[in-house]
Amino acid sequence: MGRPEPAAPTEEPLHALLPSDPVDVLAAGELERIHWATLQVLARVGVEVRSERVLARLGAAGAVSDPGVGRVRFPPALVEAALAEPPRTLVLAARDPARDLRLDGRHGYLALDGCAAELVDRETGERRPSTAADLARITLVADALPQIGVLWQAVAARDRPVETQPLHELHAQLGSSTKHVQLMTAVRPEQARSAIEIARIVAGGDRELRERPILSAFQCSLSPLTYDGDALESAAVYASAGVPCGFVAMPIACATAPATPAAALVVSNAEVVAGVVALQLLNPGAPTFYGACGTVMDLRSGAAACGGPEDPYFQLASAQLARHYGLPSSIGTFATGAKGSDWQAGVEGGLSVMSSWLAGADLLCGAGLLHGARVHSTVEMLLDAELFDLACGLSDRMRADEEDLATQAILEVGPGGHFLAHPHTRRHMRRRWRSSLFGRETWEEWESSGRPGATDRARERVRQILAEHRPPALPETLDRRIREAIAAHGR
Amino acid sequence: MVDEEIADLAQALLALDEQRAVAVARALIDGGADPQAVLQRGLADTMLEVGRRWNAGELFLPEVVAAAEIFRLCNEIVEPALIAAGGRTLGHRVVMATVKGDLHDLGKNMVGAMMKTAGFEVHDLGKDVPAERIVEAVRELEPSIVGLSSLLTTTVPEQRAVLAALEEAGLRRSVKVMVGGAPVTEEWARQIGADGFAPNAPEAVRAALALVGDERLAGA
Repeated sequence: MGRPEPAAPTEEPLHALLPSDPVDVLAAGELERIHWATLQVLARVGVEVRSERVLARLGAAGAVSDPGVGRVRFPPALVEAALAEPPRTLVLAARDPARDLRLDGRHGYLALDGCAAELVDRETGERRPSTAADLARITLVADALPQIGVLWQAVAARDRPVETQPLHELHAQLGSSTKHVQLMTAVRPEQARSAIEIARIVAGGDRELRERPILSAFQCSLSPLTYDGDALESAAVYASAGVPCGFVAMPIACATAPATPAAALVVSNAEVVAGVVALQLLNPGAPTFYGACGTVMDLRSGAAACGGPEDPYFQLASAQLARHYGLPSSIGTFATGAKGSDWQAGVEGGLSVMSSWLAGADLLCGAGLLHGARVHSTVEMLLDAELFDLACGLSDRMRADEEDLATQAILEVGPGGHFLAHPHTRRHMRRRWRSSLFGRETWEEWESSGRPGATDRARERVRQILAEHRPPALPETLDRRIREAIAAHGR
Repeated sequence: MVDEEIADLAQALLALDEQRAVAVARALIDGGADPQAVLQRGLADTMLEVGRRWNAGELFLPEVVAAAEIFRLCNEIVEPALIAAGGRTLGHRVVMATVKGDLHDLGKNMVGAMMKTAGFEVHDLGKDVPAERIVEAVRELEPSIVGLSSLLTTTVPEQRAVLAALEEAGLRRSVKVMVGGAPVTEEWARQIGADGFAPNAPEAVRAALALVGDERLAGA
């Protein structure tokens, strides 16, 4: 809507078919009250914006700007009008057009999660600070996994200068995969401009990037109710180049948000809505999305808990709010407090992926993080991808038509027979989910192969991908121009 | 012409097209084609190809079982002509049965189907088969292998009874006995003096080939 769509992709990336009737965890009255409370917060308290320039621009566009106290407030009518502006569906294009993603409420895609500052060494299990080379390696593995649709940079390139770090990250991602890239670390307008320049180099120019945005971005609120002025300006820079830019709230109940689920949702919702409204005031009609990664504080350590029962609840509720506003959603999924790929990580990931899928999330971010989203593990990334694969398997819907009810086959086989070789079985058996990491071998096979678990199989697969997978490289001329653009940044 | 029709039969079997396979087999035999050639090149070799595709991960169990069922239907057409012509058998003969008291024959059917993909001539006695009938079949058919299946812990002891009956009839030394089924373990097989055990259908084929001294898949 509003933006040209590329030709239909020839080979879609793996996606979960979203439920046609997503779960509404909030009753209609509850949703109305959260929306109403959000409007009250935005009208009476507003959000802090740490930039006089942005405040002035928002004021000129109709918001109530208080530069003296560094706040902007949004009257309800303005909010309602702005929420109706952005396109309802998005196409996130990819370097390989076959890997384009359609955020249209029907397809759920898996995104990597970032941006971890450390990673677990695959072989030693020890953690260490991440580098640009790590990011390239992880992205290469992600390129080989059909389940992963979006590359949000998995780790930070901490061996690069802070100012150009996001550009090196973008370079590493574009050079290691042909999938859609989502950048979170370019939070200052100059960085956003350079990132756009790099994306234009790869896309083929300004018009090409507008038509096929191979890059998207998002900005995070600072809970409670604050935006860095640079973040909003960067969002406007992305928007003016046709690059979709979303807003993601990451509230921690009991700390940066109130303890009760309803109030935490109000604060989280107010932050995302404020970002979306501000962007629409600065760039009417700009493509955007609704993002939320809510959790609760661990009452003893004070750290973000990530996982448990609260996260899945926030996922369901946030995706419902996004649907209510008609915006594509990016919902934090797979959060775990586990330090390794163990029972806890599996349970939290399983509950989480079910919640996001049932809630109809367009983007499920993201795969590969442990320890409260602070440490990346490539092995965990594969295990999360397998859990997403389960959701894709779940989305083989019940169809109560003649063919799926198979009354004829039931009649033919009759009591005491079997369906093993019936033509109906052969017609439909490939719809059944098949695992690549879950163990379904015989006890003897399991013993003779050294009693491997899913984690061992995932580690082996990572080794294999790293040894064998070679995605199409960036043409040398483009690669050189990207390096030149990074070198020229800030000059 | 006959060669073309045999190739057609092979293709129909590979495509799991039951109607066409049966029709072509019928036309071949009615037209006086050499039943040994029809059996070997049209059917048995094709089952080996099914086995190859299974090993390569291209086919799934329902497809192998379906192929074995089509093979059985075609064989019913070919066999009388083969016997009339004094023809020889395919390869090693296997007699299979789900033991007395047990109606669960799906596992045994899977094993039978997979055996056919390795070139075994499979004689399936069905389910709930008393020991006497198995003994009788061994005497009559002189198989290389007897395969006994049971799913229930309550019918597993019947496997021991069959072994005893074979012993009593003086036939135990002439045949290798394999046992299988969900509650059956290698330990149980050893305990009752069986010659082979397998936890699933593909493993059963390997074990059977090893028992008859065929190196094709054993240890693969």
